[in-house]
Amino acid sequence: MKRFVAAGGALAATIGGILWFLLLMSTAADTVVFSRNYPLLIVLNIGLAIAMLALVGWQLRSLWRDYRAQVFGARLKLRLMLMFGVIAVLPGALVYGVSVQFVTRSIESWFDVRVEKALESGLHLGRSVLDSLQEDLAEKARDMAIELSDVGDPGRRSALFRLREEKGVQSAALFSVGGQLLTSATGDLGNPLPELPTQSELRQARASLGVNSIDGDGEHLTLRVLVPVNSRLLFEEPRILLVTQAVPGNLAADADAVQDVYRDYQELQLARDGLTRIYALTLTLTVLVALFGAFALAYLMARRLAAPLYILAEGTQAVAQGDFSPRQAVYSGDELGVLTQSFNRMTRQLDDARRETERHRSELESARGYLESILANLSAGVLVFDRRFVLRTVNESALTILDDDFSGLIGVDPAAWPRQHALGEFIREHFAAADENEWQAQLELERANGMPQVLLLRGSRLPEASGGDVVVFDDVTRLIAAQRSAAWGEVARRLAHEIKNPLTPIQLSAERLQFKLADKLVNGDADMLARGTQTIINQVQAMKRMVDDFRDYARLPVPELAPLDLNALVGEVLGLYESSTARIDCRLAERLPPVVGDATQLRQIIHNLLRNAEDALEGRDDGQIGITTEAGRRNARLRIADNGPGFPVDLLPRIFEPYVTTKARGTGLGLPIVKKIVDEHQGSIEISNAPEGGAWIEIRLPLVREEEPRHGHHSGR
Amino acid sequence: MLVLLVFLPGLAWTAEIEILDPQLQAADDGYALSADFRFELSPRLEEAVNRGVTLYFVAEFALERERWYWLDQQIASTSRTYRLSYHALTRQYRLSTGGLHQSFDTLGEALRMLSRLRGWPVIDKNERGLMTADGYDAALRLRLDITQLPRPFQISALGSKDWNLSSDWKRWRVNLPLPEAK
Repeated sequence: MKRFVAAGGALAATIGGILWFLLLMSTAADTVVFSRNYPLLIVLNIGLAIAMLALVGWQLRSLWRDYRAQVFGARLKLRLMLMFGVIAVLPGALVYGVSVQFVTRSIESWFDVRVEKALESGLHLGRSVLDSLQEDLAEKARDMAIELSDVGDPGRRSALFRLREEKGVQSAALFSVGGQLLTSATGDLGNPLPELPTQSELRQARASLGVNSIDGDGEHLTLRVLVPVNSRLLFEEPRILLVTQAVPGNLAADADAVQDVYRDYQELQLARDGLTRIYALTLTLTVLVALFGAFALAYLMARRLAAPLYILAEGTQAVAQGDFSPRQAVYSGDELGVLTQSFNRMTRQLDDARRETERHRSELESARGYLESILANLSAGVLVFDRRFVLRTVNESALTILDDDFSGLIGVDPAAWPRQHALGEFIREHFAAADENEWQAQLELERANGMPQVLLLRGSRLPEASGGDVVVFDDVTRLIAAQRSAAWGEVARRLAHEIKNPLTPIQLSAERLQFKLADKLVNGDADMLARGTQTIINQVQAMKRMVDDFRDYARLPVPELAPLDLNALVGEVLGLYESSTARIDCRLAERLPPVVGDATQLRQIIHNLLRNAEDALEGRDDGQIGITTEAGRRNARLRIADNGPGFPVDLLPRIFEPYVTTKARGTGLGLPIVKKIVDEHQGSIEISNAPEGGAWIEIRLPLVREEEPRHGHHSGR
Repeated sequence: MLVLLVFLPGLAWTAEIEILDPQLQAADDGYALSADFRFELSPRLEEAVNRGVTLYFVAEFALERERWYWLDQQIASTSRTYRLSYHALTRQYRLSTGGLHQSFDTLGEALRMLSRLRGWPVIDKNERGLMTADGYDAALRLRLDITQLPRPFQISALGSKDWNLSSDWKRWRVNLPLPEAK
């Protein structure tokens, strides 16, 4: 499309140029072809001028529209075009004015009264000469006619010859009245006969004295005279004499030259206005076409000059919108070309830099994501502080361990923490006190209604480059409990072993003493012995039982796990407590899913707990034991609560340790065994005092695992 | 378009020459045309002639046969140019056609000669289009040929009534062939 327009424009320009040139040529040159087509050329050039005016108008309109729409570069283009236009118009108008004046003046200067007078005089002179020659010839003709009238018909031929010779006439001929050639005489035989007279000439000649005429043109002028020859004889009809005489060649030529110039001059004078008009018109058209051409060219040049600016503007906008694709390059050697090329280079560099940044960012992000996933999946809690010792990052495990969502703590100095004050203070003190870059310490956190939580914290200062501090901590409550439990197990095993061995000899010895001495003692001694040995035996047996307990605790068998109904188990154990003094309030969940566990051991747990409760309620009338089962999402909950005195608060932290007991006769191994069994069932146990008083124990036991897909489906919800 | 605009006014004024009684007559080797023109030279044209400007008059003749299925068929077309000039030296008006010329003492005589067209052989006997006997459309016009005027007059003549002298096309119907004239 653009190429067609360009080709069309070039073609139109060529045709216009040719027309223009032809107009100039035809005004200047005096040839027939141009002269004939002059009006057509004028009209075509007017058309050309109007077409160019339309073109310029269209260009200006499109520029103006751009200008109004504030298209970038339009202002510059308009200004450039107007400047070019002014440059073209001013000299053009000047030259035009001067030329028109000049042409008009010079045409006026051609005409001069004296020249005209001279030409007219010359013409008159020629006419006078011709007239006098003709008069002369007429005189001769009349003489000849008079002489011929005296001669009769027979002698006329010779008379005519003689008279022609005498008068020095070029040719003479005698005609009848009807125009028939009777006889003729010529001086030069090479000359043809003179033209025959026409009927009207003959008539005129007969009626008057004679007819004079001049024939031919240019240098060949011939004078003709017709005169009647009236015969003396009455009955003879008159004849007509034709006499011709060539005008001398040089005279004729001179007269002709004068006539030609006179005619040209007359023509010029007649065409004076026309000439002025023709030159003015040609000049005007030329100037108009040239001016419009200059304007059209100015438009093209302005557009060409402004084109790189357009490209730059587009490029700038694109860059502002984040598009770094390279712009169309302008291959020109000037500064604008260099500018666009530099711009392109710049955008390319920007693009590269942006891509590099992008790459870095994504790398950083992936590294960060990697770190975050590590932190999230770390079982240890992590707290990160920045240089100003403000909390920056907390990982998932920290939230779980501390059972706090840390909202309002992130971005705050630990000293100003509204919650977790003990932890914050602890961390601060240790960082302040640590000489090295690292420290390690253990912290016990009080928890409402429960055992204190033991945390093992390790703090370290990050290298100077990144700055800040990191605290990694673990919940070691269970670990410590397990360690204690293991230690107690070991002690119990040893004690059992060491103590049990002497017990049997002691008992046997006591029985033997009884057996041997019973008969030999009298009075009260025998009774005393009997009581003494009985006491020994009882105590030894109690001791044995205690040692067995120890052994049991230390060597608890590995549970045989199998699905079982917790409710049924509870019911079974409750059967043993039907005679209990306390009221047992039993609320079992319906449709409790089976749990995984060893029936014997679980039965022992329930038994232990119920017995503890019963013991706690001894001697009270309103004793009440609540036993509840509940189904959770992944585990079953068994809760046993009583309205007894509850656990002493100072004992709670170590309630699962052996030999911690509130009962006078207790071994202190009941709860440790419960704890151990629950642990081995992968369950959990929580002991606390209910707010309204009384002990409160909750055991969680895992349910039988369902099919994996269903499980996954559930968790997904 | 522009050409039309310029010449349209000219067309509207072109009835200065009246054509009377055009006739085709059988001649020796075809048909000859006779007609009378009635016109007067405008004072400006007369002045031009008297000042020595040569006027060219062109007589044009065309013979066409109507065709219902296509453009009309042109059978013959011919033209003849008359030159009218004045010789100041001999004070004679001269009317030339081709190689022939005649001199007149007055402009009126020369114009009378020009206005009486006699025996102009326009159609050749052997014209192929004339093979069938049929009705034909003949057309004749006479005009002053402005394009042969000197250039300054051409500009003046553009759209000027003084300088335009021409007839409309005079059309009449003839049945050919004509009976031989004895």
